[in-house]
Amino acid sequence: MKEFQETLYDSISQCFRIDKMYFEHKTEHQHLMIFHNAFLGRVMTLDGIVQTTEKDEFIYHEMMAHVPILARGAARSVLIIGGGDGAMLREVCKHRAVERIVMVEIDAEVIEMAKRYLPNHSAGAFDDPRLELVISDGMDFVRHAGAEQFDVIISDSTDPIGPGEVLFSGDFYGQCKRILKPGGVMATQNGVPFFQLDELQHTRERMGRHFADQAFYSAAVPTYYGGIMAFGWGSDDPSLRRLGVDELRARYRAAAIETRYYSPEIHHASFALPRYLLDALNEPPA
Amino acid sequence: MNSEADYRPGPRPIRYGGSADELARYRRLVAEHGSPLLLLSRGRLTAQYRALQGHLPGVALYYAIKAFPHPAVIEILAGLGCHFDVASAGEIELLKPLGISGRRSIHTHPVKKPEHIKAALRGGATTFVVDNADEMAKLRPFRHRVGLLLRISFRSDSAAVDLSRKFGCAPEQAAALVMQAQAMGLHVRGLSFHVGSQSLNPQAHVTAIQRCAALIEDINRRVNNPLSTLDIGGGFPVDYEQAGFDHAAYFAPIRDALRGLPEDWQIIAEPGRFLVAPAVTSVCTVSGKARRGDYQWYYLDDGVYGSYSGQLFDHMRYPLQVFNEQPERQPSILAGPTCDSIDIIAEDVLLPDLQEGDLVIGHMMGAYTAATSTRFNSLNAARILVID
Repeated sequence: MKEFQETLYDSISQCFRIDKMYFEHKTEHQHLMIFHNAFLGRVMTLDGIVQTTEKDEFIYHEMMAHVPILARGAARSVLIIGGGDGAMLREVCKHRAVERIVMVEIDAEVIEMAKRYLPNHSAGAFDDPRLELVISDGMDFVRHAGAEQFDVIISDSTDPIGPGEVLFSGDFYGQCKRILKPGGVMATQNGVPFFQLDELQHTRERMGRHFADQAFYSAAVPTYYGGIMAFGWGSDDPSLRRLGVDELRARYRAAAIETRYYSPEIHHASFALPRYLLDALNEPPA
Repeated sequence: MNSEADYRPGPRPIRYGGSADELARYRRLVAEHGSPLLLLSRGRLTAQYRALQGHLPGVALYYAIKAFPHPAVIEILAGLGCHFDVASAGEIELLKPLGISGRRSIHTHPVKKPEHIKAALRGGATTFVVDNADEMAKLRPFRHRVGLLLRISFRSDSAAVDLSRKFGCAPEQAAALVMQAQAMGLHVRGLSFHVGSQSLNPQAHVTAIQRCAALIEDINRRVNNPLSTLDIGGGFPVDYEQAGFDHAAYFAPIRDALRGLPEDWQIIAEPGRFLVAPAVTSVCTVSGKARRGDYQWYYLDDGVYGSYSGQLFDHMRYPLQVFNEQPERQPSILAGPTCDSIDIIAEDVLLPDLQEGDLVIGHMMGAYTAATSTRFNSLNAARILVID
């Protein structure tokens, strides 16, 4: 195969040249590839869908880690569900105030493969002493988690059609709420709403049942084709997403983290959604 | 497979004798791999694909995996540029280990469980065939991702030929269903039809093509997104009778009908039998014999519960070959290896005296043979070998 054609939509599709195949794993159940593309660097695809690329992964991971952590303020414990490539962990590890990071990945092989073929994603973060790595189904983990509670929970899942489906269920959001500290924040990846409007509406309904404040924020990740992608937001403290830019600047300075996409101004603005999405959120899913 | 269309199997050709080389090759394969066998010829499969491309230029071919769902067939055809017609989650899973993008497949089963829709999407198939509003509703949650083909059934309006009974909406319903899909936010990209399998009369295709073209043009005057795909199904016949079927003459009127369609339409076909039937040869062995009444019985190690299952399910009669050329022949019965009395491959055929260990060859045995074989009596299925 000389090119990869994405299989998300029937009438349009993005296509990447494969300049070198690093890794290909084909089973009855999934087809995973990591290849090099001249513009994007290393690209990982799963079952015909782009998962991550070296060139634009920073946008996704910075926005999913720093927005909830800095909004929470003084976050000491973070739970990551999924994120086997290690880049979410890398971003969370930048926060020196975070004392404990639990990462729950369903497939140990994904981690080994990512360390080997996508080393820049984790950039050594798997060696961080604050990490407790759990190989388990994310839903099982949150369902059976004991009394420990987290300041921030990040759900870095795959597409809702597939093994990640349960991570978009009301039950999952409810269990996450249970193990979130009062005033904690949960953030989820929620697809590209221009194409996947239902995902936004479903999350509003399913997550909104469990959190006093349910919202979305956004960022444009170029290889998640179709404009801005949405991140789900759940908290019982509505003030967390209304922090002023001055406060965010102070927190960002105090955290002393280096970022390429995230800025306090972007953080603040990312909660503003275009009109067509606000309208859709007022309608029930089809 | 064969709907109760117009095809009735003709007399079964039997070839007596063959070259010494041919026999030696079969014997060598049986000695090495055991019996029974199904031999898949890469060369013949390739030739069939190229022939169909020649008969139907410009038509995108989607191999109906169900006909012979073997990875080697899929891999060979993929290498030739073929696309795939999948009808179940299991068929999609056959593509994955071969690294074949789901983008090269369409899902053609009109009735699907919701989990099959998800499995198909996960496998990369985004075009789905439907024939009623309930099935459209199942696809509605995925409306931003999928395109639909509406399957039309043309029933007995001209001849006594029932083109489609189990699936397909009536042509009169088509426009309303497309409008309903549009109201649900679903996009119908085109129409599909099936004239039935082993269809010997090209007029069935021609009529269906013309009627679909008229339907599409009528619908396109009313909808926001024009229909632009016509899926002409499969059903293209192969020559089981070995009587010199004229494929050029058969395909010419179909090609003419397609030539009249707008150039920006995408025409696709779903051949199964045509591609794979001539590419597979069955080899089985006489394991015992008995004289019963007026008939000489031969018991083979493959039968209608195995590779010859198509005689029951698909109503086909495969050409046979034995290597004994002696002119004295007696009324004989070829029976399969199971205990069931229906396990009979051929009744009342004239055969020379065969001995235990002699080989019986079945030709044209690629379509709906191994695909429907069972494990009845805990007998092993014929081993499939790729030759040449």
